[in-house]
Amino acid sequence: MSKHIVTAFDAELQSISTRISEMGGLAEEQLSQALEAIRERDSELAAEVIAADVRLDKLEVDFEEFAIQMLALRQPMANDLREVVAALKIASTLERIGDLAKNISRRATYLNENQPIKVSSSIVRMGNQTRLLVSEVLDAYAARDTALAVSVWTRDVEIDEMYNSIFRELITYMMEDQHLIGLCSQLLFVAKNLERIGDHATFISEMIYYVVEGRPLGDSRPKGEPLGELPLPRPFHG
Amino acid sequence: MDQTTDIKIVSRDVHVYYGENEAIKGVSLEIEDNTVTAFIGPSGCGKSTFLRCLNRMNDTIDVCRVTGDIELDGHDIYAREIDPVQLRARVGMVFQKPNPFPKSIYDNVAYGPRIHGLADSKADLDAIVEHSLRRAAIWDEVKDRLDAPGTGLSGGQQQRLCIARAIATAPEVLLMDEPCSALDPIATAQVEELIHELRENYAVVIVTHSMQQAARVSQKTAFFHLGLVLEYDETGKIFTNPDHEKTQQYITGRFG
Repeated sequence: MSKHIVTAFDAELQSISTRISEMGGLAEEQLSQALEAIRERDSELAAEVIAADVRLDKLEVDFEEFAIQMLALRQPMANDLREVVAALKIASTLERIGDLAKNISRRATYLNENQPIKVSSSIVRMGNQTRLLVSEVLDAYAARDTALAVSVWTRDVEIDEMYNSIFRELITYMMEDQHLIGLCSQLLFVAKNLERIGDHATFISEMIYYVVEGRPLGDSRPKGEPLGELPLPRPFHG
Repeated sequence: MDQTTDIKIVSRDVHVYYGENEAIKGVSLEIEDNTVTAFIGPSGCGKSTFLRCLNRMNDTIDVCRVTGDIELDGHDIYAREIDPVQLRARVGMVFQKPNPFPKSIYDNVAYGPRIHGLADSKADLDAIVEHSLRRAAIWDEVKDRLDAPGTGLSGGQQQRLCIARAIATAPEVLLMDEPCSALDPIATAQVEELIHELRENYAVVIVTHSMQQAARVSQKTAFFHLGLVLEYDETGKIFTNPDHEKTQQYITGRFG
């Protein structure tokens, strides 16, 4: 892409990418540490993640102001306009990923005070997979790599399937032993948060595609089955 | 878009020469009725030259030669039997710099209807003048001083007076060559609002150097470059996702 006649405009556009990458890096780190707090049963780390969320919130507020100023003062057109609008949406998506990481850390605090159950390892696997998608979509943004973005977009279905299987597993546990309901509910929230983060990664993929191609990626994304059949409760014998 | 549109003007392979210099190098374009069409492009790209072909304003330049076809409602406007003066009553024009006649406000607007014999009586003419000034959104500002000279108005008022003068002959097409470049933002907004309203009854073609203005007022945009139309599409498409690299460079302010 050739340079703008007004060089300060180029500098500001460059700054958009830099700021988004910075926010992305922080969101990814928050997610990573939240998962570590679950895996290592580390409540101290969970507390750190919760406390650090304000940094991401602050970056988002600052970025929004920067982008709105740019819209007002530069009045960008065509690909420049797409760049700014997509970045605004990506920034708020990253902020939400941060919120979900914080929420996972809250659940971690509860889980760490209770006995681990087998499903925890499936959640760790799901977490790793989700983190990988977030990491790849951020790489795709930095390189404006639509092929990688589309790959993330299509692979979110794996996260959905992991979620569905964890959901069924947890329901089964809860029916087997009602003392586990509290614990399993917390795990269910963790899984749900990860599933949402996967969706956010696909949304960022869509934004990258829009920036580069100028048209939407479409809505034919493979999605996990709706929850389907749940285990039936055992007949109640009075 | 939101309404069905008929083609008002068709140009086919139009070339314009100023002596040896070829200013327009084969432009084929369909201009829709009840639509604001913007011509954009760098200085010297030929957009004003092409605009002036649409009501044969270029006839007044001796060295200027136009080839190709331009049809208004299917009739060749360069045909032998066409009277350019009659044509310009149907295809009105508003210029960059407001240029009211050194006459009263009333006479500025009444001039066209008089020479074209559009009014049968003084009452008729009064009605045309009032209607045109109302359409141009300047009636309330001048109704009490119709005998005052048009040149005594502010720049924005003068331009709206010129628009009233252009629409007094009940044209079907209105050509505007940078109509707001000499106006302040408030007068510009008033003229843009007027353009928006005029679209109901006319095909409006506007040449502008302001990307934002083209984006605000038009439904279709043509990008001119070195005497050619490189891209012609819905305005929304041109300003968010143009097909042509040169269009993109121009509207985003990049080196081309």
